[in-house]
Amino acid sequence: MGAHLGRRYITERDTEPDPAKPFGFDPEIGFAERKERVMVATQEQMNLAQLPLNQRDYCAHHLIKLMKCKRDNWPNFLACKHERHDWDYCEHQDYVMRMKEYERERRLQMRKKRLEEAQAA
Amino acid sequence: MAAVGFRNWARALSKGKGPAFSALLSQVRAASGPSKAMLPGPYPKTPEERAAAAKKYNMTVDEYEPMPDNGEGYGDYPKLPDRSQHERDPWYSWDHPDLRRNWGEPIHWDFDMYIRNRVDTSPSPVDWNTMCKRLFGFIGFMMLMFYFGEKFPSYQPVAPKQYPYKDLYLERGGDPGKQPEEVKHFEI
Repeated sequence: MGAHLGRRYITERDTEPDPAKPFGFDPEIGFAERKERVMVATQEQMNLAQLPLNQRDYCAHHLIKLMKCKRDNWPNFLACKHERHDWDYCEHQDYVMRMKEYERERRLQMRKKRLEEAQAA
Repeated sequence: MAAVGFRNWARALSKGKGPAFSALLSQVRAASGPSKAMLPGPYPKTPEERAAAAKKYNMTVDEYEPMPDNGEGYGDYPKLPDRSQHERDPWYSWDHPDLRRNWGEPIHWDFDMYIRNRVDTSPSPVDWNTMCKRLFGFIGFMMLMFYFGEKFPSYQPVAPKQYPYKDLYLERGGDPGKQPEEVKHFEI
């Protein structure tokens, strides 16, 4: 925990990626074929569900189902465990993907630096 | 006084005439407020007057010091030190333990301000310099740490969150007339 901060500010200041800036590498590097993420809920559905902007992500259809279930089962707050799990799992996968993207960017930065050093030598 | 006022009032009601209502009211009003004996006397000018005033307030001539005669109407009321009751000995058997006061003791002009749950004039446990040093030291340290936090932000090692529909171009208030650049997100 926090090792990335040590690398970012102390040891590997030139290669550690900064998530505040857009990642510049071609998304296809190192992949034969990449599958694009699929968005299930439409913009109109999200508007009708009145989702806040930060929840209009690739898991929005699970969230809409969960909200509908909660509404239909009110006041039984114990219902909708499956819907909640589906949504939580989708968000978890989303987060893991972000972690992987970060690590990919970090390794590509290091690779780029390595190649440049090899070329200079 | 009140009894007289009530009698006049009753008579006025029964007869339908007599003294006017405003006269009744002034009589009733005269019954309220402190009596002459409760008010302070005139400012003492001669030593004899001072001695008399000190005796009146249960004080010796040495400790008696009248309020300054600057036309604010304090008269011969004694000027007592501005010390709160909290400073007094809690273990002494006071006549009135809550107020830490003995019977017949002269009362400070602002006594209600210096009772135990109001102003406290007892010395603080830490002196002023130490208090300032600690307070401004803490504030300075916090400002320094906030500065470092701004310069070197802490974050989780994850890429920015991905959003569909061109990173919510329309939802984030983008111009519908223009075509934003294509944003593609991939699974990994």
